[in-house]
This record gives sequence, C-alpha cells and structure tokens, in this order.
Amino acid sequence: MAQIELENITKQFGDVKALDNVSLTVRDNEFFVLFGPAGAGKTTLLKTIAGAEFPEKGLVKIGGNIVNHVESKDRNVSMVFENYALYPNLSVYDNIASPMRSKLYKKDEDYIKTAVDKVTKMMKINHLLERKPSQLSNGQRQRVALGRCLVRTPNVFLMDEPLAHLDAKLRHFMRGELKEMQTSINSTTIYVTHDYMEAMSLADRIGVLNHGEIVQTGTAQEMYYTPCNEFVARLFGEPEINILEGKKYAREDSVYVKVLDQDVLLYPSEDTIQVLKETDTDDIHIGMRGNDIKFAFEKPGDEWLEGTIYANEPIGNKVIMTVLIGDTKLAVTCPNDTVAELDQKVYVKFNMMNAIYFNGETQKFIIRNNMSRYMAEKREG
Amino acid sequence: MAQLILKNVYKRYDGQKKKMFKKKKKKENDFAVKDVSYECQDGEFIGILGPSGCGKSTTLRMVAGLEKITAGEIYIGDVLINDLQPKDRNIGLAFEDYALYPPLSIYENLAFNMRAKKKKEDEIKKAIEYVAPLMKIDDLLDMKPSALSGGQKQRVNIARAIVRRPGLLLLDEPLSHLDGKMRQQLRQEIKRMHHEIKCTTIIVTHDQMEAMSLADRIVIMKEGEIQQIGTPLEVYDDPANEFVAGFIGEPPMNLMPSVIEKQGDKYMFTFEGSELQVEVPKRYNKVVKDKMKVTLGVRPVDVLIAEEEVSSTPVPVAVYENLGDERRISVRVGEMLLSMTTPEDVYYETGQNVQLVFHEERTHLFDPETGGRIKV
Repeated sequence: MAQIELENITKQFGDVKALDNVSLTVRDNEFFVLFGPAGAGKTTLLKTIAGAEFPEKGLVKIGGNIVNHVESKDRNVSMVFENYALYPNLSVYDNIASPMRSKLYKKDEDYIKTAVDKVTKMMKINHLLERKPSQLSNGQRQRVALGRCLVRTPNVFLMDEPLAHLDAKLRHFMRGELKEMQTSINSTTIYVTHDYMEAMSLADRIGVLNHGEIVQTGTAQEMYYTPCNEFVARLFGEPEINILEGKKYAREDSVYVKVLDQDVLLYPSEDTIQVLKETDTDDIHIGMRGNDIKFAFEKPGDEWLEGTIYANEPIGNKVIMTVLIGDTKLAVTCPNDTVAELDQKVYVKFNMMNAIYFNGETQKFIIRNNMSRYMAEKREG
Repeated sequence: MAQLILKNVYKRYDGQKKKMFKKKKKKENDFAVKDVSYECQDGEFIGILGPSGCGKSTTLRMVAGLEKITAGEIYIGDVLINDLQPKDRNIGLAFEDYALYPPLSIYENLAFNMRAKKKKEDEIKKAIEYVAPLMKIDDLLDMKPSALSGGQKQRVNIARAIVRRPGLLLLDEPLSHLDGKMRQQLRQEIKRMHHEIKCTTIIVTHDQMEAMSLADRIVIMKEGEIQQIGTPLEVYDDPANEFVAGFIGEPPMNLMPSVIEKQGDKYMFTFEGSELQVEVPKRYNKVVKDKMKVTLGVRPVDVLIAEEEVSSTPVPVAVYENLGDERRISVRVGEMLLSMTTPEDVYYETGQNVQLVFHEERTHLFDPETGGRIKV
C-alpha cells in the first residue's frame, strides 16, 4: 500500500540512455501499466523501482520515502517475471509458500497455510496444490507464479510481461483471469507489457514509454480517443490508425482540410473549427481508425471515393482491407466474411465522427471531432 | 506453372521407429506424416497450417526432395517426382533463414543460380528486372546483404526463389523471423506477388492469421494427419473438428464441456460448477438427447447478450474490457471464462446480470471423446 513517485530518473547503459529524465507518480492502490515498443525502457524502469537497477540521477520514492539506497529486499516489493521461475522440485503449495518461509519474512506454518489457501482459491489452483510445476499447463504455471507473488502483502507488485510467453489463445483467457482477480489485489501494481490490449484491459492508467521517455500518461480511453501525438495513436488499435496528410484552408466561418493529393475535402465538426483555425500551421494530419471508414463494392453515391484493393486479410474475427487511393494506403476494418479480389475497385467513405487532428509538423495532437461530446461522456462514464 | 498432387504420402524417420517401439507407443504414432493426400491446382496458393511437430515442414520437404518419401506418390503436373533430384523438380524454395551469399551484391545473389545454369547475361538481367519490383527490392540491387534489414533480406530470399520462374514455389515459415509491422507488410507483398505471377505456391506456417490471409485454401495438420482442407472462410465457419475450431480464429473460440438437459420441449446447455443454462439451437433437436455430453463451441463474436427476456439463466458479468476497437465481456462458467466481443460501444458493470444467447447458425457441437463435429 504505497504511492510510488519517480522524479527525474535517468539511467544510462554505456552511451545509451535507457531512461531519460522520467518523472511519474503511481497512486496508492492503482493498477498502472507501462506500455511501449521493445527497447523503450519499460523493464529498466520496473527494475529501478524494484531496486535491481540504480539510476544515475533522480529520486525513487515508495510511500513517501526515498529508497534510492534501500536494497531490493528491504523495499517490500514483489515481482513476477515473464518466465515463471518456479522451483521445479517443489509442489505448487511449497512454491507459493516459499517467500513466506524465507529468512526475511519467516512466518509460522499455520499462517502460511491460511495465506496459501486464500490465494490459491482466488487463482483457482487450489486443486493443484500437490502437483509439481512439470505437471502443470503453461496457464496453470503462470497462475502459480502470480499466486506466489500475491501471497505476500507487499507495498508494490511489479509484473514484467507475465503473459508474454503464453501462446496467443491462452493469453486471451489469462488476460480475462487476471482482470477478474484484479479487484482482490490490494496493492499498488505496476505492470509492463507491449500488448496494447493487455494495457487497455487491465490498466487504471497507462504510461506510454518511448526511447526512455514518458510520452503520455492517462486512462485507456484517453490513449485511444485523445492520443497526445501520432506515435501514441498508432500504438493503440488494430489495424493501426490511418494518418491522412492534408492541408488546411480557413474561410470566414469555416475550415476544411484537403487530403489524398488535395483531391478530397474533409469538413471538421463545429466545435473544432475555432481551434483548427488558430493552429499556426496549415499542415494538418487526420487520424482515422479502420472502423470509421465505410466501404462498398458498388458506388453508392457521389461522395464516395474510388480506390483499389491492395490487400484483403482476415485476421481472426475481422478482415482488414487495405485500400489504395493514389499513393495512400488505407486500412479498413471489414466484417469477417468479406471476400474480394486484389486490385478490384472499391468505394470508401469517411465517418468524421472520431477524426483526430494532428499538427503535421510536430505530429502533436490538436483536437478531435466532437471533443466536447466525448469529454461529457467521459465525465459521466 | 504446375499442379501438385500428393497421394497417400507417408513419412517415417528411421531413428524414430526404434525409439517409438522402445517406449511402446501406439503404432499409428510412429509416422511423422501419415496418409496425406491433396491436390493443389495450377496457380493456387496453399497454406499448410499446424502446431510445431505436426508434420507440415516434413510434407513440404518431401515435395522439395529434401526428404525421402516413405510411402505414397507425389506428382508435379503429371510427372511422378518421388525419385527425381531436387534440382530437376523445377521448384523455388525460400526458408525462414535467408542464406544469402554475404560477399555478393543483391543482384549477384539473384543471378547466382541462373549463372550456374549458364543462362545468358541479358536473360538474367531481364528476369531480375521483372522480379525486383514485385518484391520491392529494386533499390537494393547494388547493396550487400549485410546492409539490409531482416525484412529486406527475406524479400531478396523470396525474389531469388521466383527469379527462375519455377513451376512450384515453396515457402517455409518465411515470416516467423520478422517483427509485427514488417511481417504484415511482407505478407501483403507475398500475396500481391502471387497475384501477379500466379505461380503455384505452398506456404508452411504455424500462424493461423498468416495462413488465413495468404492462402486460397488451407490444409490443417495435427500429428502428421490432415484435419481439414478448405478456404479460409470454410475452416473458420465450418470447422471439421474441435482441433480446427480451436486453432483458427482470434480471439479463440469458446470451447466448453457441457451436459445437455431436456426441459419440457427444449434442450438446454448446462455446465459443471455453474448455474448457467443456455438454450440449444433448435436445429440440433434431432441429434441431441437428455444427459448427453458435448463440447460446445461458439466464437466470442457469436455470443450475444439478450435484450429481451430469453430462456437462459441470468449470470453476472465477471470481466468487462474496453479494448478501443471492441468491447469484451466475459462470464464465469465453472473453471472457465466464456467471452463475447462486440464492436458496439456498450458498457456493463462487473456483477451486473446478463442473459446470453448463442448465434443460431454458428454454434457448434463436438464429441468430447473424439473431438469430431456433431452435425445436424
């Protein structure tokens, strides 16, 4: 039970800055997800909190106390790694009991039994207590590893990609399991992942890392609907968000953006006009997600744009169609049974409802369509 | 251009036989590939899909001539190729590893095999100029392999396989080395290349998404045997058995052990350790009976939350996830979670009761003993 504060953390490995002036506050009892591409510095940040790495600059505070010089074992943190690191010669019961039997936390066996019973019931592994790790499935092993972490009541739980090496199918189920038992975790948790669905599903708040810097912190909804720049917008959602390059034309009481080689005019919603007008560049990028583009094989009307099919790929429960218009490729989300020939004609139409505007020079977020409506909904939600 | 036919092909590795007998394993298990037959039409793109160790690569290697065939016949066109040398089979091959010649430029790498066959230089040049843009490597021809990224090297590798315009192109996990983005791009390029040259192509992969997006038809294998052959849509909508149902699709199909219970004129799915009961789609009325054990298979997109009163038991929402593009809602059923996904912008509180309905046409039943599909 503790708030974690990081102040201006810098960590260098040789010439490489793994963490570059990172400041971050994780609230007491919060489930905080560190998210970013490989090499962004996620694990290094986690290790800094655990006390496995020591920063060159900056302060690490747990529960208000500076812990820079406190050894790992005295920080009262509990960590789960990607590989479960279970003791192969011990039963599930003994594996889970092991941290409480260590010299540091030495508890009596009655206490241990109560604690193990509680956590194994919660993890639904109480029927496996006698088994050895080798007799368990991957998913069960993962639950044992988590159970061993949860059996203590540390200040902080640190989880480093605990689902990463399960196969895709199992990962889906385990994510649900983890989410379900989240309510019974009564400690601040920091969870590292590179899977955007895990991040969105589990997090109270997400911190996006890139090149050792925090790019944005916020809720999953904020990341998806109001990303602070194009990099963040691209990280969330499948297929990746389409970014259309355009030019802004301001008129007396309106503004429009020409995209796709100046051929297509897009009209921003009322509430964005003023902000877009005041933006000091004409170089505007519009972010448009695949499910906001409609498609048809017969031209339904004049306002529909003609393109050709560059690719048509089923990815499980939907088809991602890549539509080529001029030199621009657009990813369009289609129903699972969409069958199409490559290079055949297709017509698309943009639904501007969720359009996000970025500054074309800086790639930074300007505003999104229906911002006010979205903000109102957010308050209610 | 060629048609490929496999007729009752078997493969047994020599060492394997002894080992198997020592362990007293069942006899039918000692084949790496067992009774594999299929026909690949001229110009068709076939995906061989399965988990590791299912015999998919072995099958490909027998077609390539890199493995001896234990029994059965393989034809390319109308020629029996069982005893033909690999070089005489007119096959283009690309593996997961690129194996480019490091001291040679990309152009020379592509030209190497044709030069070995004493082709004229202007012919070679023409061939390379044709394939380079197909694989988007026309800017790389003067570079050395060491200057290329993994994705670029794989493009060159595939270009080298098709530059001689083989009758048959064989690709063994060509994308599994590459990371997300690169993989997706190259997947598109491979499909477009095939669309352009219409060369009969076989790709071996363990990634269902790859097979689904590339292949005209998919051959799904498990433990050396073919489970199903069909178009991507066929194997998704109409899986032959529980294995195929679970292997194809993401998020995966819910597969739940269930006991059927007759209630009046209705049949209900019931689940051990759960109060949940959901009505069995009417079309199964002829094949189900009271107390029958089945494995219920239904995809997350085909589970719906009823808006009006239905016969299923209300159950509390265990997990609600907003994933941006879609929402996922799960309920606890005994030891398992039953999940549904919807693109609609809906919200359910954890603990809130919901009533579930399964899509009438797309609810599957499997025999829990054999895994076979119970059809109407």
